[in-house]
Amino acid sequence: MRMSKRSLGRKVRSNKANCWVEPSFSNLLAGKSPESKGKVGKGPRKKKGETNSSAPRSSSLSVVQEPHQSDHNVPWVDAHAPHSQAELAVHKKKIEEVENWIRTHTDPTTSKGGIIALLTGPSGCGKSATVQVLAEELGFRLQEWTNPSNVSEYRADPEAYRQTFEPASRFNGFLSTSQTGLFQEFLLRANKYNCLQMVGEQGPKDRKLILVEDFPNNFFRQPGSLHDILRRFVKTRRCPLVFIVSENLSGDSHSRLLFPKEIQEELSICNISFNPVAPTTMSKILLRIATLEAAKTGGRLCVPDKDTLDILCSGSSGDVRSAINSLQFSSLAERGLSLPKKEKCLAVLPGKAACKRTQGKKRSKEKGPGEAEQCIGGKDVSLFLFRALGKILHFKSESPRKLSGQHKLPPHLSEHQRHSLLIHPELVVERSHMSAEFFNLYLHQNYLDFFSTVEDVARASEYLSDADFFTGEWASRAVMAEYGSSVATRGLLHCNSAQAPVGFRPLHKPNWLIINKKHRENCQAAQSLFINFCLTPTILQVELLPYLAKLSNPMRNPVDNLTTMTGKIQVETDHLLNLEALTDKDPGTLDLDDEVEGDQAGALSPPREAGAELPASQPQPTTFEALMKEEDLLIEEYDSE
Amino acid sequence: MSLWVDKYRPASLGKLDYHKEQAVQLKNLVQCGDFPHLLVYGPSGAGKKTRIMCLLKELYGAGVDKLRIEHQTIVAPSKKKIEINTIASNYHLEVNPSDAGNQDRVVIQELIKTVAQSQQIQSSTQREFKVVLLTEVDRLTKDAQHALRRTMEKYMGTCRLILCCNSTSKVIGPIRSRCLGVRVPLPSTEEVCSVLSTVCKKEGLSLPSELARQISERSGRNLRKALLMCEACRVQQYPFSVDQAVPETDWEVYLRETANAIVSQQSPARLMEVRARLYELLTHCIPPEIIMKGLVAELLSNCDGQLKTEVTHIAAYYEHRLQLGNKAIYHLEAFTAKFMAIYKKFMEDGLDGLMF
Repeated sequence: MRMSKRSLGRKVRSNKANCWVEPSFSNLLAGKSPESKGKVGKGPRKKKGETNSSAPRSSSLSVVQEPHQSDHNVPWVDAHAPHSQAELAVHKKKIEEVENWIRTHTDPTTSKGGIIALLTGPSGCGKSATVQVLAEELGFRLQEWTNPSNVSEYRADPEAYRQTFEPASRFNGFLSTSQTGLFQEFLLRANKYNCLQMVGEQGPKDRKLILVEDFPNNFFRQPGSLHDILRRFVKTRRCPLVFIVSENLSGDSHSRLLFPKEIQEELSICNISFNPVAPTTMSKILLRIATLEAAKTGGRLCVPDKDTLDILCSGSSGDVRSAINSLQFSSLAERGLSLPKKEKCLAVLPGKAACKRTQGKKRSKEKGPGEAEQCIGGKDVSLFLFRALGKILHFKSESPRKLSGQHKLPPHLSEHQRHSLLIHPELVVERSHMSAEFFNLYLHQNYLDFFSTVEDVARASEYLSDADFFTGEWASRAVMAEYGSSVATRGLLHCNSAQAPVGFRPLHKPNWLIINKKHRENCQAAQSLFINFCLTPTILQVELLPYLAKLSNPMRNPVDNLTTMTGKIQVETDHLLNLEALTDKDPGTLDLDDEVEGDQAGALSPPREAGAELPASQPQPTTFEALMKEEDLLIEEYDSE
Repeated sequence: MSLWVDKYRPASLGKLDYHKEQAVQLKNLVQCGDFPHLLVYGPSGAGKKTRIMCLLKELYGAGVDKLRIEHQTIVAPSKKKIEINTIASNYHLEVNPSDAGNQDRVVIQELIKTVAQSQQIQSSTQREFKVVLLTEVDRLTKDAQHALRRTMEKYMGTCRLILCCNSTSKVIGPIRSRCLGVRVPLPSTEEVCSVLSTVCKKEGLSLPSELARQISERSGRNLRKALLMCEACRVQQYPFSVDQAVPETDWEVYLRETANAIVSQQSPARLMEVRARLYELLTHCIPPEIIMKGLVAELLSNCDGQLKTEVTHIAAYYEHRLQLGNKAIYHLEAFTAKFMAIYKKFMEDGLDGLMF
């Protein structure tokens, strides 16, 4: 009964919310027995393994067994939640990192610096499970915040609920406190008060971790209010606080909105980012679960073969939860409906068929590229920008020996003969979640490193020029952008006839946006300052300003700064070569429209104050240096692990 | 202090230094009363603007010298606010509509309407029309040019237009046919020299004729540039010496170095360096077209005769692309890469030829 209710509770969230209007002690009181504690603390948020992980390990076996005997409705995700570090799907180093953090920051003797950790990563990569397991192993009590819902609050006191809606009532209006207020109260209480030591509790569990996965909605609108609360929290610094933020790949990451760089530095928040689960780990876990389940059902459920598991792994794109779910579903379908295996794939998307093809030569040879098989519940595959660029730039094509089967081009075109590609460029661009134009910019920034001859570069750059030409007309841009990216990506792939020796090459963010912005700013500044000369912009920039810079009798006014800036080219300091490295975790941030720069512009440097506001005392070179320093800092921040 | 260019700018048609017959003709044009729309065109630095201002002075007297800079905000039908700077006197209004970018049509219509709808107060003592001076007409969008054509007809009674541009090739036929075309050619080298020496004399300096000649040649007969160069020479070294190096602008030097870098090595890594240099030029407000033009000129001087046609061809191709496209760097880089490929092939062929 309890379990089935909980499986429904995924969306309803009533359990927890009911309790929430009570002072937060009730949570702790409820935690006196392992079972009920698990229920209250973890019920509504159904992350993998939350249910049982906090139960003492001695009883864990029975907990696993019990639901199976009662019915089959328990999601395997919950039934097979990890209980120890070994069972976690997360990389050992990552677990260690989190463990270290928890150890150092809870011990009052060693604790210094931040008391807040921020775990980020794609959904289903085991962030919450890691925290659960570690808390369990290190002997921490987890206290989790869940967003309260107003309705249930009133349900606790129907009289008050009715009153608020009665027109004659004095209290015409909601009496509820804002979520922000509640959150603040929660933090305060959780920080201040320990739970009562109950009889029958094994060992002292007075150390606790506060876990926040669910953010009050208001914080997304006003991240500042969260920051204020956190600042106050940090001052008292008693309990470590762990935030978990799921990131998606399309770039609009919450972690950046809620925890901007400044705040992370100010509060010395420790940011630990998780990677998607590796396919090998994933298939191990799936195999283990499948074997366990098969053993339990006594052979009615057979272990799926390796290929099926592989498909499940690849379909989930590093999301353990979704992989286990689809494993359960697929095995159910097989047994219950006894479908032939081929037909089990209900949803076959054309995109998936192609994505199959990209998954290594081994399987695609066995199955043949035409066989479009995809597991149920497979996720949309998406790529980090870094990977997407890598797929185009370090492209893979089929091995030459397979060539014999292909039809050859006629002799006069033989130089254009290429092996067929193992990737699908349009798909790669689509999965990078970037606009085609920005993707092209990224390609343009980085393609030169991957070419070895000038002839190839000449042709490749021509394709890039073509691609830009496609999107030149704004009216047709929306339609043509895809063709543009197709031309650019395929052009680059085709032109790279002699791939430069493969190895790791750093990728960089495109310079064009910042350059373009500076160009426009400088032009505007020049025009507004030199309007007295009544010159057209071109003449002003090309003739007047450079010579004004030459006429070295300085006019000692702000104008002069600009002249030296625009008119003189500092040959020796090539500050442009300070490239911002792009790392694998960097989401593409430039989704905004073309000439309006994306977040990056904001992230880089404050736009130089153009025009008359330029302080006269400030000589230009220092400004340049300051700029450079800022960029250096940024590069460090993007260091990959 | 003001620049020599501005200080010694001729202020009346009679004082112009060259193309004197044209000055006389313009004077007659104004005096005979009826005054058509004018389209003044000619290369940069030939003195178009000077001539126009002289003409206005002839028309309205000293009042046109009292200029004020106005910052106008125009609301487009799409509710978008366009901000544009105008320079105006009581009698005329000067505006560069291409500052408004895509919205230049609205600027043209609204500004001319405002000017044309207000009558002159003392039409007895003054002319009964005002003048609107539009600069860089060749950079107007087609849309704006058509709007201009209609506006021209509509407000002929109260307003005359003087259009100023470098080339008429981008001005649509209907506008050209509605205007009296006045071409202002570049001054000859001798004329530039004489202007330079007059200016220097007024400054109390003695300019050797050789240096004057050198400056005028280096400036490409662009008088504005020549005067700026001359002043820069003065700052650099005085008294002048005959074989003094004429200072060049930094971007020209930088562009030449870039061209040399291209010629000296052709490789993807070098292209990367060139890209950084192109970016640097762009940040210093050098328009992409100018970069392209300068680059081609420098590269051509390094090329063998038979290569020149090919290089010019690809330059024209990518210059066109530059106009049509969105992001200049793609096209500049494509041109550079193409040049590198051609040049490399040519050099290799040349080496092969030497071997056999």
